[in-house]
Amino acid sequence: MEPIRKEEIDDQACGSLAPKSKPCPRPKPGEAAGGCSFDGAQITLLPIMDAAHLVHGPVACAGNSWESRGSLSSGPSLSQYGFATDLSNNDIIFGGEKKLKDSIDYIAGRFAPPAIFVYATCVTALIGEDMDAVCKEASDRLGIPVVPVNSPGFVGSKNLGNRLAGDALLQYVIGTGEPELEASMGVNLIGEYNIAGEMWDIEKLMNQAGITLLSRITGDARYKEITWAHRAKANMVVCSRALLGLAKQMESKYGIPYFEGSFYGAKETTYSLRQMAYLLNDREMERRVDRLTEREENRLSHDLRPYRKILKGKKAVLYTGGVKSWSVISALKELGIQVVGVGTNKSSDEDVQRIADRVSDDTEYIPEGGASRIIKTVRERKADIMIAGGRNMYVAMKEQIPFVDINQERHKAYAGYEGLLRLAKELVDSIANPIWKLASSPAPWDKEDSYDR
Amino acid sequence: MSKERMNIPDYNTLFTEERYVQQRENKKQFEAPCSDQEKAEALAYSQSAEYMEKNFERKAVVINPHKACQPLGSVMAALGFEKTLPFVHGSQGCNSYFRSHLSRHFKEPTPAVSSSMTEDAAVFGGMSNMIDGLENAVALYKPEMVAVCTTCMAEVIGDDLSAFIGNARQKGAIAEDFPVTFANTPSFIGSHITGYDSMIKSILSQLFDRSGQTAAPGAGEEGEKLNVLLGFEPYTGNFAEIRKILNAFDTKYTILGDHSGNYDSPANGEYEYYYGGTKLADVPKAANALGSLVLQKYTLKKTQEYIKGTWKQQVSALSTPLGVKATDKLLEAISELTGLPVPASLKEERGRVVDAYADSHPYLHGKRVALAGDPDLLLGLIGFCLEVGMEPVHILCSNGDVEFDGKKWKEEVEALLATSPYGSEATVYVGKDLWHLRSLLLNDPVDLAIGSSHVKFAAKDAGVPLVRVGFPIFDRHHMHRNPIIGYQGALNLLTLIVNIVLDQLDNNESGFGDLVR
Ligand code: SF4
Repeated sequence: MEPIRKEEIDDQACGSLAPKSKPCPRPKPGEAAGGCSFDGAQITLLPIMDAAHLVHGPVACAGNSWESRGSLSSGPSLSQYGFATDLSNNDIIFGGEKKLKDSIDYIAGRFAPPAIFVYATCVTALIGEDMDAVCKEASDRLGIPVVPVNSPGFVGSKNLGNRLAGDALLQYVIGTGEPELEASMGVNLIGEYNIAGEMWDIEKLMNQAGITLLSRITGDARYKEITWAHRAKANMVVCSRALLGLAKQMESKYGIPYFEGSFYGAKETTYSLRQMAYLLNDREMERRVDRLTEREENRLSHDLRPYRKILKGKKAVLYTGGVKSWSVISALKELGIQVVGVGTNKSSDEDVQRIADRVSDDTEYIPEGGASRIIKTVRERKADIMIAGGRNMYVAMKEQIPFVDINQERHKAYAGYEGLLRLAKELVDSIANPIWKLASSPAPWDKEDSYDR
Repeated sequence: MSKERMNIPDYNTLFTEERYVQQRENKKQFEAPCSDQEKAEALAYSQSAEYMEKNFERKAVVINPHKACQPLGSVMAALGFEKTLPFVHGSQGCNSYFRSHLSRHFKEPTPAVSSSMTEDAAVFGGMSNMIDGLENAVALYKPEMVAVCTTCMAEVIGDDLSAFIGNARQKGAIAEDFPVTFANTPSFIGSHITGYDSMIKSILSQLFDRSGQTAAPGAGEEGEKLNVLLGFEPYTGNFAEIRKILNAFDTKYTILGDHSGNYDSPANGEYEYYYGGTKLADVPKAANALGSLVLQKYTLKKTQEYIKGTWKQQVSALSTPLGVKATDKLLEAISELTGLPVPASLKEERGRVVDAYADSHPYLHGKRVALAGDPDLLLGLIGFCLEVGMEPVHILCSNGDVEFDGKKWKEEVEALLATSPYGSEATVYVGKDLWHLRSLLLNDPVDLAIGSSHVKFAAKDAGVPLVRVGFPIFDRHHMHRNPIIGYQGALNLLTLIVNIVLDQLDNNESGFGDLVR
């Protein structure tokens, strides 16, 4: 496989082409770090639901990762199959290219997917497999795209993997097809993965406003629709800075303007829809968007009233370990919740700036992981709730802290107007659950040991 | 506010609403352009005997793997010891997978760190990552022991753990007397159980060597104790059950590798990194025990050899004791090792379980079952099925390579099946994946499947109810808290299975609304 050039990583890291931006933070040895680049690349591409995703490596990388995403599909489910070349000792010594070729052939023959993505892992990158060549040969022979994704785990963090996946799309997919319909008004959504079906809520809003969604990159996507993403009139980068590089390169290559936005919270949602209409440069559409957003906001604020009453003044610590931080802050603020601590672990400088714009001065920034660090903030700031990803959930439970899952394992969609209502309900449910009272009050026989939260 | 608004559905119900269904219909234009008829044909083909044959000829690709890798087992092994921090030497991603895997099964946090190797390490070796990592981890998480295992990456570049750890001591990154155990656990060989075994063996042997002691089985006070090893144990309840049994015998014992504390800690307001586990000081002492009882003999292969060879102990090795007969054997083994008689309380418990078997037998008799899991668990499950009159049909073992010695295992399984007429229908598959299982379920239907959560999809495709037993169980809560070993475990397993059968009957019931069963 082609080696990943270090300079490229360092100055383009996190998708930013700006020379000054800092690279994706390197994990420190000896800590409980997050996912690897392989994981990140998969997260970006797995939501292309009709494609086959083949992991070239020992069975572990695939075995540990399949069936673990909350990225939903409205139809095809091939992407949910765990395909692996399952390299064993002998393959490590003699090479696994033959196995890779055979695997691709089997998948093409049996499952007839529109495309196959092939992922490098630490092992295949280290033993020097020429994945690009095998994929190219297979692609020519089989007549379907076989896309190599060169993002082995050791090159770095999950964020970097997202970016490398974006590169693969740009290099092998985008621009290779043409839309059948006259879709002159289309917008691409970049970095929206349809976790818990959030994309469908966004899509519904766009439909109502008459905005065509041209390509989903990649939530609930079909391979074909990504091939024609270059025909869009605008790109929206949905709070995933890792894919910002993709948007930038589409701008320079195809002249497609882009903006960064979010669908968490009513204000951000309204802003995003407006921005789309603005970039599409269509007066009539702008008016439609205004009417829609006004109506939705009014209805929402009415529906939210009972929840706001409960949530007002509540304090939260937000640790999503990534770029979602700033957008979720807006949503929480609209519910009357004060964010007293926020993770900046994988956020870029610009993200941190955005966070700073949205929180008060004494909010604590939590730069790196470790459950104890998060808990400490919750305790010191007397927070009422912790909002984080699944791995931190069980620690919160030990500490008797109400918790809402915000990451990829969750079952509820929080984007858009209705999403905010769902989030409000979830927060209230979690805070109000009687178990916290039970947990924090002492058993009748040791009253004086009472634990005050 | 309307009622509909108040009731916030999750995605299973939310997206069945008309507006979303419509949206999905509209989207079909992007999908691979094949007709419903073509789809139905493809589905039918994938269910045919012809395809099954092709599927079983498949050599190259694994579809839906059914095993985890070595270091995951090592992490679990390390968590069985007091204040021990699992340290995964490799790039960062593997460790993050292990933590979420174990956490999602047990619904508990998993403390484990990684040396986070990057491409520099790929070129120059992972020594500096190891040294920095050990220093940082000890400062941050204050363990009393670190247990290092490798991932495939460290193995491919050929890192020398022993030398690296030595260098870390020399450089003062960790103290001279701070115990660091290590095991080589590449994921392209073996599986989670191999990794578990390697790490347990490493911990026992390294702590023993450090103590400077010599093995004297049966000597002194320790000589009255029994060592007990449960293996890669996804059930915390099984630890409690074995304790209950040993206490009933009134024998002293040391459990070597007890992660139940870590995975069953109380929510009392303060999270600690380490809960419970075998005391480090107890490990060298265990060399003087009167004997060792092993409850997963195929998992703990190297460890058994070590205990027999170096500690010179008598070892009684069983497979997971599921069901009445296997529990009988367990009690006999304890009796033999300790010289104590089987206590009356257990005899009585046995009688109660046999009674329960008798109550439920009409619903279990002749039920055809597919089984998937780890080797020792499968032996237990097969035994259980045979003794309640269920017929194992497809038996899929998650391990299939040389390391695990599949051949010997297969012979033992076949011998066990041959002891009962209910075993005559069974075929044993080693090293197959869940796509093979799907073919089996579709072509040769069964009444029930027993296995981990991963079996869910194959079972669903075939319309077979799944009884969740084993590892991992992600999509059900608290199954691991209830023991499945011992007489109590047999009762739990029976309850679980028979009630799924009864549920099934109710779901298909024709309108008589039967309340008597
Ligand atoms: S770090 Fe490497 S070996 Fe581990 S899961 Fe990621 S790609 Fe696979």
